[in-house]
Amino acid sequence: MNEKELEIAARIKEMLSENLRIPAEELDYEIPLFGDGIGLDSVDSLEIIACIDSEYGVAMTGVAKENFYNITSLTKYVVENM
Amino acid sequence: MSNINARCVVTGLGMINAIGKNVEECWDNALKGTPGIDKTRSVNSDDCYAHLGAEVKDSDIEMNDKVDRVSMLCLQASKEALNDAGITNANVDAARFGVIMGSCVGGVVSIENYIEKGEKTEDINKMTIASIANHVANMAGAKGVVTNIGNACAASTMSVAYACELIRAGVGDVFIAGGADAFASVPFAGFTALHALSENPCSPFNKSNGITLGEGAGAIIVESYEHAVARGAHIYCDVLSAGISSDAHHITAPRPDGIGQMYAIRRALDKSGVDKKDLDYINAHGTGTAKNDEAEFLSIHTIFDDANDHLSVSSTKAMVGHCLGAAGAIEAVYAIKALTDNKVPPTIGYTAEDLEALKEKAGKIDFMPNEMKAKELNYVMSNSFAFGGSNASIIFSKNEGKMSEEENNESIYVTGMGIVLPSGNGVEKYIETVNNKNKVDGVSLVSELGKEDFDKFDIKLAFYRKLDKLSTMQVVSGIEAINNAGFEFNDENAEDFGMIIGTGDGPLTTVYEFQEHISKEGTQNGSAFNFPNTVYNAAGGYLSIKTGMRGYNVTVTNGSQSGLSSVCYAANEIKQSRTKVMLASGTDENSDVMNKLYSQLDMVAKENGGIYENEKGMVLSDGSVTVALESASQAASHNAKKYAEVVGYAMTHEGVEYGEVKGSDAGLKNAIEEALKDAGIDAGKIDAVFGFGNGIKDVDDIEKNVYADVFNKEIAVINVKDYAGEARAAAATLALAHASLTLAGELNANQDAYIMNGGNVTKGSVDTTNFNYVLVTSYAVGGSYTAVVLKKA
Repeated sequence: MNEKELEIAARIKEMLSENLRIPAEELDYEIPLFGDGIGLDSVDSLEIIACIDSEYGVAMTGVAKENFYNITSLTKYVVENM
Repeated sequence: MSNINARCVVTGLGMINAIGKNVEECWDNALKGTPGIDKTRSVNSDDCYAHLGAEVKDSDIEMNDKVDRVSMLCLQASKEALNDAGITNANVDAARFGVIMGSCVGGVVSIENYIEKGEKTEDINKMTIASIANHVANMAGAKGVVTNIGNACAASTMSVAYACELIRAGVGDVFIAGGADAFASVPFAGFTALHALSENPCSPFNKSNGITLGEGAGAIIVESYEHAVARGAHIYCDVLSAGISSDAHHITAPRPDGIGQMYAIRRALDKSGVDKKDLDYINAHGTGTAKNDEAEFLSIHTIFDDANDHLSVSSTKAMVGHCLGAAGAIEAVYAIKALTDNKVPPTIGYTAEDLEALKEKAGKIDFMPNEMKAKELNYVMSNSFAFGGSNASIIFSKNEGKMSEEENNESIYVTGMGIVLPSGNGVEKYIETVNNKNKVDGVSLVSELGKEDFDKFDIKLAFYRKLDKLSTMQVVSGIEAINNAGFEFNDENAEDFGMIIGTGDGPLTTVYEFQEHISKEGTQNGSAFNFPNTVYNAAGGYLSIKTGMRGYNVTVTNGSQSGLSSVCYAANEIKQSRTKVMLASGTDENSDVMNKLYSQLDMVAKENGGIYENEKGMVLSDGSVTVALESASQAASHNAKKYAEVVGYAMTHEGVEYGEVKGSDAGLKNAIEEALKDAGIDAGKIDAVFGFGNGIKDVDDIEKNVYADVFNKEIAVINVKDYAGEARAAAATLALAHASLTLAGELNANQDAYIMNGGNVTKGSVDTTNFNYVLVTSYAVGGSYTAVVLKKA
């Protein structure tokens, strides 16, 4: 990741930790957020969409699932759509 | 005398919603298919994607600055119902006259006002659900069982069911049962965040693209048949029985397989003695979300398709919106009007194209699109399904039912317990605390739960991170109680295991923080993550999801005594249904928010003073305590340890102005006398009392005065708040758990106690070795009291 991507990834991690009560130590940028990893669900994804919209003005409603796979894929989507 | 098949009848109705200020208007407009949905006037929806609401017209409701809108709605419907029934102080015994109200968000408008309009002290007492039934009881002069049910959108169906159970338990003749909710920013922002609001008027069983929120209240006078006949009352119909269940699936979404809903519907039919071929009409939950409508379609089709050739189903929410905690009561009133007028109200909003699509989805069932129909009705059902996976179905009948349930007359025992407290978590830790006489130190105490607790009960991160503190405490104390009791259940019999959760303040901290966030960031920015935790039954919902318990699941909320009245409710449930094990809990939270509110009310001690003597205020605390209750044969089936036998209980009310902390000695005295009568013993048999004093003089004085009067001799009073602080509902259940541990000999025989005699109190100790009967008491601001008699097992 470049510097800008690292900054966004760090902010997304912070938001996940604060808003979804995931301990920061459980989160790295590659761990799968849904399914067997952290175990997020559809309500959590609404919260992620709201956070990314308010922080970066990037709308992710209806966006393909793979973009939510982990912090890296979320970062990539934000960077490409900012 | 209890008679679980006793006839309960409806003798009065009251209602207010977006299409009327009384039953007549609401009913006429429903039959005409009048839509009550318009752009919301009370919530700022400017930046939201949806803007609709079904609000009560300003001219239809009287407001009073001293009372939250939700209570004003409830008072209006209750007064109408009382007048309709012709109930006056002259024709009902106040002690056998109760109030059970349901609500989802309670006084949440007052939380918004508090935050946005200068943090006024007078708004604090209006915030919780608890105030609703208290206002109604004071208006009506009711002195029997008074409480509220907090199971979100199923709350007021459960309140009608509970009123019948109490009449059948023989503890009351007349109840005002129902519920209310006011249109407010918190639910609007929450459902916006969940993308569950429809941009157009909700369209249940049709477009199913979301809900439209509404507001209102419904009130039903439920009365024993004998009482109604004796006073020459007009009888609308019989209330037969209800089915109540828990999905144990998801905190917001219904089970897609519908098995929780179907259990509730089938249970209601079974208990009522109604064959499914004979049911004529269902007022459906029918919210208009895709998930609800799909599950409810499935449930109704699965149960009725091959058995019933004439069933009508409609959702009045298409006209009055989703009134949340009021929905069950409003829809029960609609179902009763349908039954007695032989007219089925429609579901409005179908276009010609929709009607074509409906044909395929409806099969033989008439989903009542657009137009009402006249039809002879004998049995009608109202369904309510809620957040937390709560399901309730209830049946009303034109004629006497054929109920033939058998009462369980076995002894009921406390067989397990789970404890979360600031002094430490777990029963063993509590025993150690008491035996070491480690009394509370400080004026504000908070319990801690960490990875160690979660690991111990195999609670994973993906689960526990969703929970707020209230729910976390509840889940941990609940699972410990199950493990401590040592019973096991499986998918086959999970419906036989249930719970009653008692809470005074419920999730007030979460609701407050949710409101604070949207006050700052706008209605469009509510948190989808936190919203599910704003309902009072989230704690019980999570416990059922984690454990798989799919039976009876109700949250009662009326101040601190909720933690002891939950035990009475649970014991009653074992007697009246096939439920094998009931958990009974008390859970309340301490947080910065709670501390701020109680401090502003001047209730929190500035220095640790002591109970019954220095009167410096309460040590604010928190916790969750759960006990497991089982009947004798169930306990024997797995060789359960019997801590104590529950031999008698009573719940009373002696109203004081709501919010004032002051005593009403008569209320406690009546509760004790009735509990002793229920136990079949006199006061002289009681070896000790496990009391509720908290260092606030007016509260402590109630006990001093009443024990002097009731016992007329020296009596030892053990107070768990010495060890736990004022943990409110948790302290109330803890008193019962501590009493049970004492009778079981699990604590050192020599215990610290307050020796009361004629109103005087001295600190001392008591030898508990030969204790045989003890009394547990509890109190709530507003004037509700619960007393339970325990016997050595």
